[in-house]
Amino acid sequence: MLDMRQVTKVYRTELVETHALRSLDLHVGEGEFVAVTGPSGSGKTTFLNIAGLLETFTGGEFRLDGEDVRGLSDDARSRLRNQKIGFIFQSFNLIPDLNLFDNCDVPLRYRGMPAAERKLRIEDALGLVGLGSRIRHYPAELSGGQQQRAAIARALAGSPRLLLADEPTGNLDSQMARSVMELLEDINQQGTTIIMVTHDPELAARAQRNVHIVDGMATDLSIEPGLVRAMHAQAEDAATHA
Amino acid sequence: MFGYYLNLALRSFRRNKALTALMVLAIALGIGASMTTLTVFHVLSGDPIPDKSDRLFYVQLDPEPMRGYRPGEEPQSQLTRFDSETLLKQKRGLRQTLTSGGNVVISSDKPGTTPQLVDARYASADFFPMFDVPLRYGRAWTASEDDAKARVAVISKELNDKEFGGGDSTGKTLHIAPNDFRIIGVLDAWRLTPRFYDLYNDNYGATEGVFMPFSTARDLDLGTQGNTNCWADSNGDSRALNAPCAWVQYWVELDSAGKAADFRSYLVNYSNQQRAAGRFERPANVRLRNVMELMAFNKVVPGDVRLQLWLALGFLLVCLVNTVGLLLAKFLRRSGEIGVRRALGASRMEIFKQCVVEAGTVGLAGGVFGLLLALLGLWAVRQQPASYASLAHLDGSMLLLTFVLAVAASLLAGLLPAWRAMQVTPAIQLKSQ
Amino acid sequence: MTGTAAMDIRPILSTLMRHKIASLLIVLEIALTCAIVCNALFLIGDRLDRMNMHSGIADHELVRIQAASLRQLSSDDAVDKSVSLEYLDTLRKVPGVRQAAIVSQLPFGGSSNNSSVNLTSDQERPTLDATVYTDEGSLVKTFGLKLLAGRDFNSDEFQDITDLQKAGDKAQIPVAIINRSMAEKLYPGQNAVGKVFYSWTESPTRVIGVVEELARPNSLDQGAYAMIFPLRDYGAGKHYILRTEPGRRAEVLDAAIKALKKTDPNLLVVNQDTFDEVRARYFEQDRAMAWMLVVVIVALLLVTALGIVGLASFWVQQRTKQIGVRRALGATRGQILRYFQLENFLLATVGIALGMLLAYSINQLLMGKYELPRLPLHYLPIGAIALWLLGQAAVFGPARRAAAVPPAVATRSV
Repeated sequence: MLDMRQVTKVYRTELVETHALRSLDLHVGEGEFVAVTGPSGSGKTTFLNIAGLLETFTGGEFRLDGEDVRGLSDDARSRLRNQKIGFIFQSFNLIPDLNLFDNCDVPLRYRGMPAAERKLRIEDALGLVGLGSRIRHYPAELSGGQQQRAAIARALAGSPRLLLADEPTGNLDSQMARSVMELLEDINQQGTTIIMVTHDPELAARAQRNVHIVDGMATDLSIEPGLVRAMHAQAEDAATHA
Repeated sequence: MFGYYLNLALRSFRRNKALTALMVLAIALGIGASMTTLTVFHVLSGDPIPDKSDRLFYVQLDPEPMRGYRPGEEPQSQLTRFDSETLLKQKRGLRQTLTSGGNVVISSDKPGTTPQLVDARYASADFFPMFDVPLRYGRAWTASEDDAKARVAVISKELNDKEFGGGDSTGKTLHIAPNDFRIIGVLDAWRLTPRFYDLYNDNYGATEGVFMPFSTARDLDLGTQGNTNCWADSNGDSRALNAPCAWVQYWVELDSAGKAADFRSYLVNYSNQQRAAGRFERPANVRLRNVMELMAFNKVVPGDVRLQLWLALGFLLVCLVNTVGLLLAKFLRRSGEIGVRRALGASRMEIFKQCVVEAGTVGLAGGVFGLLLALLGLWAVRQQPASYASLAHLDGSMLLLTFVLAVAASLLAGLLPAWRAMQVTPAIQLKSQ
Repeated sequence: MTGTAAMDIRPILSTLMRHKIASLLIVLEIALTCAIVCNALFLIGDRLDRMNMHSGIADHELVRIQAASLRQLSSDDAVDKSVSLEYLDTLRKVPGVRQAAIVSQLPFGGSSNNSSVNLTSDQERPTLDATVYTDEGSLVKTFGLKLLAGRDFNSDEFQDITDLQKAGDKAQIPVAIINRSMAEKLYPGQNAVGKVFYSWTESPTRVIGVVEELARPNSLDQGAYAMIFPLRDYGAGKHYILRTEPGRRAEVLDAAIKALKKTDPNLLVVNQDTFDEVRARYFEQDRAMAWMLVVVIVALLLVTALGIVGLASFWVQQRTKQIGVRRALGATRGQILRYFQLENFLLATVGIALGMLLAYSINQLLMGKYELPRLPLHYLPIGAIALWLLGQAAVFGPARRAAAVPPAVATRSV
């Protein structure tokens, strides 16, 4: 599904050159559920932006669903993003002026889908996340968990091949977080590839694979399970001593 | 997608009432001012007789003596009585007429009524068909009535209503002291804008009350009104046949605009003949202008009207710049949403289109209010003391122009903000700052 | 803290440079408004000058009756004369009438009789074109003209205009009174009294008096030249001018009409009004134009103010977090307020500077097309101050809102 080889990203300003990613290698197969962890400033946000075709990269190769995306025009990237990728953001990013139906409608409109098909997909997606009865409600009328679920519905309505989630439970309490994670696992079970960026090791543990990004390079932790257990232990220590 | 963007635009208006109201007001003011002045300009400068304005020509000759002659200078703006009557007799155009303004005193035998001074027009028979003068009752006079100096008159609708209570007054007597005239025709409502056949008597004034043969007016030595230029002593009678004075207007109707060159040659020949006969001294210096050319040359549209038009357009420009700024603020305020839409797959062009549709919608709303303001403005113009004031009315083409101008202006204003909005990068974070 | 202001300007400028488009828009809007307002103010001044033009006559003491008798319509010179003399006689007897005269035209009256004037009898082209006022005996006194040099006509210098016309080649107008503009144009730097010119006839006319001013009936832009010939000109449709006290004008006008109607039932009154009304009618268009300019100026300032309010509010909203950070770092409300006002002041200054240049360019254009004089320099500071004040007033609301942003905003993350 996602095939990155030696991808680099350099930000150049007048004074400073920042290497956000240095020779990042990552392969995610179809149907996988991958958690991406790493300290802040490690480049995981940059990685997500590039994976989601939100940014271009400086060097290396990147194939998405078999297609080489290097050198694609801005319009082509937008199209690809619209058709193949679904986003779930930490701060939900629902458009406040629009109700849930219209929010889910946005990506479908850019695909040029006819009205009947849009309606069907939106109702299905909102039903899937348990918000079928709230179709006409506005984001401000919903709780944090409900908003995130609506955002997931928006991401799903277009039947994406790849779901990119950036700290999806960051703004939720533990109960809501749990229900959202269950939803993601369900979606993954049904065949959607998920790449989730998180700094919560507990969440990371629920994924099939863990990738750790540090100083712009990725390390696949599933190959080094010892590291995972060490991280868990650290987290538990921190919790009991708090 | 257009319907979708329209829907989004309307929602956005409801959410940002204050900012939207500000933008619509700015555009409405600019449009209102521009359309008011444009309408006045349009009314005053439009073609008053479109179906034949290129076939009606105004004749000018140069009968002055050599003294003070400079080659190429504009000749006298009107003809002498001798030249106009001679040209009329020679009948070289399809139709021709000589004409001059005048005033007559109308009195009635009804007790208690005071005599009225009324604007008059003296002309020859062809005047009526040439200028498409609409007759409600009766007829205009004929060429033989011209020759006979008949005491006949055609009166305007307004005069007919006032003096005879409306209705068919043909056959009645019009007492122009100390003579009696027989009314042979009554005009329908008629207001040429401007009254181009005589540009020396209030261009936008009302139609004259009494029309009579020029020959009759001269026979009875009735008062004239207009511009007279004498270049030598007229011995107290500038209206005499041979007076060295220019005061008569002469118009000719030709078969087609193409015949103008031929007619001009005829006028040159006439001038040369007059020189040979000793009446003219200067080399032939003729002018033959059609209706629009004459109006342009005489700068018929008052300078103030033009100035007001430029002022209003300057004002519209400021309103436009204002709108650009406000639209920029409106779009960038939503840059978070724009980023999300881009992330969800909107191309830059889609964002651009969405913003442009919003700008156009603001323009449409501005056009509606601008129209109301223009109607108010035109009402204000009608209260003004100018003779053209009552003509200031919005017609169909101006109505359409209001909306076209409003939408076009706001689309133009929206280009820069829309371009700026489409530069917003697709974003994962809804940044507040 | 005198250095603070100067130090403050650099960061403000760099902030503005980062928002180039919005800053440019405010500058452009202020520039355009400044340019248009300066020119509009000047146009208003120009029109007011026109409306206050000196007529040379006793404006507030004169009333006019334009009249004819039905008896005069048969074009008999003798009848014309006798009727006019009859009217003058009747009018002179009306209580309150100090002077009466018959004229064929009056200042700002609209229609005029002009004649070309030559300095020598064999000139190719005329020196100037002047309005001819005919005097039957009491014009100077009735109009209240001020003689600068020379004298009024003597009673033996008058002739009937009809006699002049009958004389043909032998016609002479031996003497005339001219106005100062004409004197200065014909005989610059010299005393005009005693000099000659040629007009209307082949014989020379000698100047015997110069009046301070006598305005023309129209064509005011073709040189303010007017002259008075001692010619008695009677006939239908002439104007009878009566001089009285300002407070009695309405009364005198009324009484005069009644008296005329009594002596002549065939009276036809074409116009009756005070000279002030005649004058007001002549300058109607100018007054309307001046009002229109005032409306435009007000509307322009309003639109610009609204635009500044809109953009400034947007900027404040965009920088809410920044403002919170500044407050957290110790800035007072007053300093935040002053920051935004200084920012607006800078933009306004650039806009006004640009606006001045634009104002002059517009003025150049208008000068060419509408025969206006050059924009006097003193209009520029007026426009500048108006726009500085406007900008400061407009930005005050948003600036106050900015100052009210609590420091706690700095720590909030979303």
